[in-house]
Amino acid sequence: MALRNSPIAALRLLEGPQTLGKGPGFWGGFTTIVALACLYPLFADGYDVGNNVYFFNWTFMALGLSLIWGYGGALSFGQTAFFGVAGYAYGVLTINLGDAYGLTFVSLIAAVGLSALFAGVLGYFLFFGRISGVFLGIVTLSVTLVLERFMSQTAGPEWAIGSARLNGFNGMGGMPSLTIPWPGGDIVLFPDVALYYLTLAMLVVVYLALRILVNSRFGNVLVAIRENPQRAEMLGYDIRRYQLGAFVIGSGLAGLSGVLYTAWGNYITPSSMGMSAAALPVVWVAVGGRSDLTTTLFGTLLVLAGFQYLTIYGSQYALVVMGVLLVVTILAAPSGIFITVGSLFSKGLRRRLKRESV
Amino acid sequence: MHKPTTSVLAALGTLLALSTAAIAQEGPIKMGVLEDQSGDFAVATIGKVHGIELAAEEINAAGGIAGRPLELVTYDTQSDNRRYQEFMRRVLQRDKVDVVFAGFSSASREAYRPIVDQFKGLAFYNNQYEGGVCDANMIVTGAVPEQQFSTLIPYMMEKYGKNVYTIAADYNFGQISAEWVRDIVKENGGTMAGEEFIPLGVSQFSQTIQNIQKAKPDFLVTLLVGTAQASYYEQAASADVGLPMASSVNVGQGYEHKRFQPPSLANMYVTTNWIEEVDNPASKAFVEKWRAKFPDEPYINQEAENSYIAVYLYKQMVERAKSTDHDAIRKVIAEGDVCMDAPEGRVCIDPKSQHMSHTIYLAKVGEDHSISFPKVWDDIKPYWLGDVGCDLTKENPEAQYTPSDNPMKSGG
Amino acid sequence: MDVLSGLFSFLYQTGDAFAFLVLSACGLAVIFGMMGIINLAHGEFILCGAYVTTSAVQMGLPLPIAILAGALVAGLVGMLLERTIIRHLYSRPLDSIVVTWGISMIATQGTLILLGSTMPGTGTPFGSFTVGDYGYSVYRLVLMLAAVATLAVLWLIFTRTRFGILARATIQVPHIAEALGVNTSLIYSLTFGLGAALAGLCGGLYAPTMTLVPTMGAAFVVEAFVTVVVGGADIFLGTAPAAAILAVVKAGLTSWQGQLAGQIGLLVAVIVVIRILPRGLTGFILRERA
Repeated sequence: MALRNSPIAALRLLEGPQTLGKGPGFWGGFTTIVALACLYPLFADGYDVGNNVYFFNWTFMALGLSLIWGYGGALSFGQTAFFGVAGYAYGVLTINLGDAYGLTFVSLIAAVGLSALFAGVLGYFLFFGRISGVFLGIVTLSVTLVLERFMSQTAGPEWAIGSARLNGFNGMGGMPSLTIPWPGGDIVLFPDVALYYLTLAMLVVVYLALRILVNSRFGNVLVAIRENPQRAEMLGYDIRRYQLGAFVIGSGLAGLSGVLYTAWGNYITPSSMGMSAAALPVVWVAVGGRSDLTTTLFGTLLVLAGFQYLTIYGSQYALVVMGVLLVVTILAAPSGIFITVGSLFSKGLRRRLKRESV
Repeated sequence: MHKPTTSVLAALGTLLALSTAAIAQEGPIKMGVLEDQSGDFAVATIGKVHGIELAAEEINAAGGIAGRPLELVTYDTQSDNRRYQEFMRRVLQRDKVDVVFAGFSSASREAYRPIVDQFKGLAFYNNQYEGGVCDANMIVTGAVPEQQFSTLIPYMMEKYGKNVYTIAADYNFGQISAEWVRDIVKENGGTMAGEEFIPLGVSQFSQTIQNIQKAKPDFLVTLLVGTAQASYYEQAASADVGLPMASSVNVGQGYEHKRFQPPSLANMYVTTNWIEEVDNPASKAFVEKWRAKFPDEPYINQEAENSYIAVYLYKQMVERAKSTDHDAIRKVIAEGDVCMDAPEGRVCIDPKSQHMSHTIYLAKVGEDHSISFPKVWDDIKPYWLGDVGCDLTKENPEAQYTPSDNPMKSGG
Repeated sequence: MDVLSGLFSFLYQTGDAFAFLVLSACGLAVIFGMMGIINLAHGEFILCGAYVTTSAVQMGLPLPIAILAGALVAGLVGMLLERTIIRHLYSRPLDSIVVTWGISMIATQGTLILLGSTMPGTGTPFGSFTVGDYGYSVYRLVLMLAAVATLAVLWLIFTRTRFGILARATIQVPHIAEALGVNTSLIYSLTFGLGAALAGLCGGLYAPTMTLVPTMGAAFVVEAFVTVVVGGADIFLGTAPAAAILAVVKAGLTSWQGQLAGQIGLLVAVIVVIRILPRGLTGFILRERA
């Protein structure tokens, strides 16, 4: 057991049946992309760097949803609830604690922990209550809408935790950015090069860790549950615990997105938990191909950048074009655009596509 | 998206002619415009963009700002706070604009304000709102509660009685405005018959209507926001509530009197700093100019006029400062005489709060939804921020104060 | 007299909430309950019904006919969408969320571009009446009657007509229905069209009482989903009783604690009901029967 859990054994799980991409070709490409991403700030201006940080912020929530929905087969429509809880928690903690001594990072961890705890409680209620399918989506959506409506009316001065005012629908502001304590002056991570590297590093770590997770026994069982819950149960797995585990991890990642977003813009608002915000992660994940981490990641970045591009250049037709693209993508590429396009070139992907469309 | 090149060329021509241009930098002055041209707020905000376009066209035709043409960089923020965050960074970092005109809802303003503050940008918020923003990087041209309620509520109490019922949207704007109403009613020796807060997005009002009828107030203050809540008027009319109404948001912003069938808004009194029905020569000429350029405009609201004026005020500031530099512009504001004759009357920027004084018109909606103006108050100042200790000529707290949370309350 | 007027007031409030929930939910219930499609464009069918109704009234048609026209147009649009898009999604109910969300985006923004940011209303007909201290709108009573009538008509359609029986057969065991010669493809189209028409009916009925803007559908969607989920798959065993229960919860909480409590109470009720009855009231009633 000790040997199987050794770091070397874990690294072997970086590739496996549950993730696309293996062998030197894939990892060569992976290294190239990471290297290019590292070099990028040398060529881009401050706006592009900060804007990319903004895109990266959302990918954690998407990867979490891929784990819950793509791998675990449970559609959560309310990941924004954890996003919001963690964002507000970060705001409340940092406004009260301040940004010295690396306390912003302590707050980050505490806020993510809080959202995971919340997910644990809610998930227990859901999965041990055997709620599944569409109903799971609706309950999680209800949770996020309750939080949105509640937070919207907290404008009054009585709604404060310590010195942090929740400030209702207008949103909470004034929280510090992430700050690294440094001799001779703290480094404040504004949306710029330093924050870019930090977020990129987190993204790489989370991506690789998730690859290991889904290729481990846990991931295999999770996929078995997605494919056929009864069969998994007959084989002696307590499917509730696996689904709960995936839900907590995925929601913790949504929480991480929430904290990073809040620290990025020094602002969090109840509408981050509203109906249209809640639909977005589902869209990102569905477009890229939810059943794989890599396609989810690139799909999310593609949709985010594409929608922003359309809004900049498409004037009032942007929303119409976005809608059309969504509809066409889902109809023409049910497993997400990457797998569908990739299947034109790869036999393995063609087989996968066939399997998934059954 | 950008200005038609012809007008830019024309302006460039003027620039060449005026070789004595006082400003060393060449090239256009860039103005970022972030407004909601789609989504829930589009009803009230498309006119703001048109107002800015109209002013920019006039200014460019007349030689630009200090000889430099004015170039607009416009983005549609889709009534989405996140788009404000994205595009505020874009206009400041990428497009490097000299000034930004941005925001309809207070939430959107609070979303972009940290970014403006971080980059030391200069933003105009041309909207009526709940008041209290004390931030040197912001200039607010919309009306604030002390301008609208200190006029409206005493008038209504004198005319209809001292028993007041408020229904308000359950968020910052509604809650803070309701607090203002409560305080002014008390100061004038009246009583609150009731107060009810409605969550945003609620469209069904049967219970609220009954609560109002039960309390039997002399008049009703309606601070309802958003298109869903506007359904109240139709539903109240069909239940024959029949009370006189007072409001600071309706008519002037969402032109409900044009959109609803009479008489659902009959007997409503609104304090606004301008609407298209205002009957004076300057205002009429303004409406005529507007209709010539935008013949299909459903209504020209107060925010549209605010936005139009704001462009001219910015022009004046830059020309007097001889620069687009913010410190230079703030020095001009500190002189206390940045004023102009607007369609509504004379307006001035208050140096302490960087808010604007207004002519306040009391608009009365008639049975057939025609507008009359029983009373006009000249030169109503945005005094409150200065009273509670905001003085942007001395320090810049970059904060938003409320009646129950401000430097005076905390003893500072 | 006071007691009576209080009682009437409570019944009126509950009936009003009931009508709103039933009318906004039954289109969604047909589409979700019978076809398993989660239709996030539900609000835009309501929008379609409301706009068509209003335009028809402005062209001089009497209101009842205008409302039917609104329902009819929404139904036809629904059938068209089913033929072109929705039918590819029957095996993928979760993808239907994304697609219908996309359709909803196109419809909302398209309406804004084509018809402008707002449409003038027609005014609420029939005036008011008084009981005790309170004035009431006659039209709200019409809405309550319309809700009951809609349920009755739906019941007749699904139990007494050939279409209804075939539809239920198709939905329960599609391949056998097909083997028995039922044109299941047509049945699916008609069912989706019926759901869309019911949404259009809701829009038409509420059009005279609301602000007409491209985003107006959003005001109905959350309540509709809540009702359908609490109710479960069957309209008569689920949606109708769910609407009744939720109406009491909402009217009670709203009059006791205000609108916010009513809104949050509704959402909390969903979570609780699903925890106790994972298949909604339908599942509960069917289990009791069995």
